[in-house]
Amino acid sequence: MTRQDIEKEVRNIFLREFEVENPEMDVNLREAYGFDSIDAIELLLEIEKFLGSELTQDEKKQAMDIRTMKQIIDYIEMLAEKRKVAAEKK
Amino acid sequence: MERRVVITACSAISPIGHGKDKIVESLLKGISGVKTLREDELISRFIHSRVYGTVGYPIAYDFSRQHRKTMGPVAYYACQVAKEVLAQAGLPPDFVTGGKLGVAFGSIHGSPTVQRDIYKIFFEAKDKASYQGIGAVDYLKSMVHTTAVNISRMFGITGRIIASGTACTTSSQSIGYGYEAVKYGLQDAMLCGGADEYDTITVAVFDNLLACSTAFNDRPELTPRPFDRARDGLVVAEGAGAVMLEEYEFAKKRGATILAEVIGFACNSNGGDLILPNLDGITKTLRLGLENAGINADEVDLISAHATATKMGDIIEAQAIGAVFGTEPYVTALKSYMGHTMAACGAIETVLTLYMMQDDFIAPTLNLEDIDERCAMVHHVQKLVEQKVKTAAIQNFAFGGVNTSLLIRKLT
Repeated sequence: MTRQDIEKEVRNIFLREFEVENPEMDVNLREAYGFDSIDAIELLLEIEKFLGSELTQDEKKQAMDIRTMKQIIDYIEMLAEKRKVAAEKK
Repeated sequence: MERRVVITACSAISPIGHGKDKIVESLLKGISGVKTLREDELISRFIHSRVYGTVGYPIAYDFSRQHRKTMGPVAYYACQVAKEVLAQAGLPPDFVTGGKLGVAFGSIHGSPTVQRDIYKIFFEAKDKASYQGIGAVDYLKSMVHTTAVNISRMFGITGRIIASGTACTTSSQSIGYGYEAVKYGLQDAMLCGGADEYDTITVAVFDNLLACSTAFNDRPELTPRPFDRARDGLVVAEGAGAVMLEEYEFAKKRGATILAEVIGFACNSNGGDLILPNLDGITKTLRLGLENAGINADEVDLISAHATATKMGDIIEAQAIGAVFGTEPYVTALKSYMGHTMAACGAIETVLTLYMMQDDFIAPTLNLEDIDERCAMVHHVQKLVEQKVKTAAIQNFAFGGVNTSLLIRKLT
């Protein structure tokens, strides 16, 4: 899974679930698009579906400081890498 | 401190139309909004009563995604009538958000459509993924105060929230408690009303109590039949109604159109049986309403009866009206046009009464062809009356033994 794949999927989620087309990478999502706490919870569920694995409570807590698209993509990239490493260890 | 309270806007979505023109047309032409019960693929096939007061026309909603995501069908109805009332009242934007405007709005149990979806998962969830189908917003859509808070969120209203949930007196309490909030200076204006969405569970409840109409399943427009000898029960319905209440001097100063003044309100409890109508309790409510308004019974021109068309309920109500008001005031039963819109009925019946006040007519009780002699002690309206209405009483009674009486007067 490349960073481009992640960005493409996040943009799909934003369009499908939040009716936001092509969100800018570095703007505050709340200020620019009204992305609120309810949307954030929905986004975590979408991320779980995308990764095909459940997020731990700690991982969900790490998402609480996210404000921008770039941070979302960084976050998913980190989660994907963590799962890749865990899978390789098995 | 007691202040005068006036109504400066009103709106309704009902089985007989959305907005004044269509509703008044239905009242003048005697058009019923009762239709055949829709199949819900769950319990509707077991229900004996095959009739429902249906909002069977499209409504052009224009709500943004940010608002839609916390709204079930009941909140769509509520927010739409709230939007129309706010537009009609024309309150300044900074007043709407400034804390002096509150919301009193309710439904009988939030959104049953959303609740059903939650319980499907509750009973059928096989794994974590299906459990996660209970979305973060499902509670916000289904909770009992969903209408009130979706309205406050959508329009940025920051005053008090009153979310009555007392079945058939939900929205008459909304208006009554809103009236008291403005009267005693706690708020300068209150957006008040109630809503309920299409729901077969409510039909099942009344059907199992043998309180639903079943004899006119093949001719829905002939039921309900309040006060008629052939009445055989209520018809459950959906809809929403809202009014804007404002402190009189404030409304007058800003040049608002004043539809009527709320002159009194009473609410009491039967303190006993939670289902059966109670003559003593209802009679007391009607007297308390007059007392609160500071008027005599002979000053009331029109009574909008609760009149659900159940066997006992109509008799008890007619006896109470007869005892308190005598035979002078006209008595009309507006549920005869649309069925029982549950939480919305008090507000919708208030809105319809305001329309009749504005246009100088009294709609007859539909399907009242042969008055039951046990209900005959009041002045029933069987034909359209073209007459000015100055003072009206709107009365509603609910499961749980809750009774309300609201008195409104047209300013001259």
